[in-house]
Amino acid sequence: MKKQSFYLIPLFLISCCIVISSCGGNSDEENAEKRMENMIDSSNVTVGVGGKIFIIPSPIQTAMLIQKSGAKYDKGMLNSPGKVNSYSTKFQKCLNLGIYGADLGYATLYDQTQDALLYFKATNTLATDLGLTNAFDNTLVERFQKNIGKKDSILVLVSSAYRASNDFLKNNERNEEAALIIAGGWIETLQFAINIMNTNGNNEVKRRIADQKSTLSNLISLISTYQGNEEYAELLAKLNDLETEYDKVEYKYVYEQPVVDEVKKNTTFKSKSEVKITPENIKAIGEKIAAIRNLIVA
Amino acid sequence: MRKYVTILAFLAFNFAFINRSAAQCDTIATVCAKHIISPYISDGQQYRALLLADQTAEFHATFFGGGTYRIAACTGLNDGNLLFSVFDEQRNLLFSNKDFKNAPYWDFSVTSTMGIILEATLAGAHSGCAVVLIGFKP
Repeated sequence: MKKQSFYLIPLFLISCCIVISSCGGNSDEENAEKRMENMIDSSNVTVGVGGKIFIIPSPIQTAMLIQKSGAKYDKGMLNSPGKVNSYSTKFQKCLNLGIYGADLGYATLYDQTQDALLYFKATNTLATDLGLTNAFDNTLVERFQKNIGKKDSILVLVSSAYRASNDFLKNNERNEEAALIIAGGWIETLQFAINIMNTNGNNEVKRRIADQKSTLSNLISLISTYQGNEEYAELLAKLNDLETEYDKVEYKYVYEQPVVDEVKKNTTFKSKSEVKITPENIKAIGEKIAAIRNLIVA
Repeated sequence: MRKYVTILAFLAFNFAFINRSAAQCDTIATVCAKHIISPYISDGQQYRALLLADQTAEFHATFFGGGTYRIAACTGLNDGNLLFSVFDEQRNLLFSNKDFKNAPYWDFSVTSTMGIILEATLAGAHSGCAVVLIGFKP
């Protein structure tokens, strides 16, 4: 009895301290501020990964561009949903969740409802395996089925589900998994653009391939945080190798003053940018991104 | 057995309270999401940073030419508590919500693809979770 009391007392006191620091007479917001002060490293003026937070564009943006370019739907360039159960590690599941998400967006944009349903099921399987049932739950499944064929609604639903998954992962300090999902989506999107470029050589798609230069740099910065793990290190090495091709892409930016419409709450960025990317460059980028993708979907 | 049950109970009890801060970032994100509505589609992510009064969060993004984007930036449960500014890669100031009554969101039409840097600071609070959400027009 004495031995039990001995360790119970400090446990009790520590618990009381934490409870008292979490509760109190002030508002919830004031209490939250106090707790956050204890969590923040006040030696940094700018916070984030090395002081920066990196934003990677949604795969749907490039998929939209491809569809608008007039390119025909090409199911062959998507990852087979039948492979979903072959992905066993968390690393593989996260990357392919990103890839299948991009495929789902692509199929949806082309009104390929049967394929979209298969890709939805694949994303749902991987999301469930990863414990992301806060976002990919029965409600989402019902809403997806109810809205099948309604392109805009599906895109909103899927994007919201991915954001909810991103929220969940970050809340649970699974930031590296969130980064992998984003990486998978980006890799698949670049692969789309390269495939389309190889078939119809559209200038806007070519420009979009070149435009990935800064996004790739941001993605590498994001993944670099987690390179302690062997699988991440290999992915990072391949992305760095891809970047050597993007280093050859010339980018020129000229600032122009933006124009504000206060009533519409809109600012137009008038600045101009130009890129120069050669066919050899595109070919080399295509080969490297294909190698990265094939490793992930195999 | 009683010892292990007690230790587990202690850990669970404290985990619940320590996790409240992360949950509050989540609450802010949920509140902020009301600004990313049709015709905008979420980019599928949430960006956040825990800040003290003298700190700045720096977000790096690429906006594609021809696109229209909405940036929503929030802290706390009410609008207008987070200041955000948008710069280009040359650090030319393109926009600051401080000039528009700390507007919680703003839309940006992009002529040519460009890298942007978004800086966020708290508008008066001692500390807080800064949440940034981005949407784009299909």
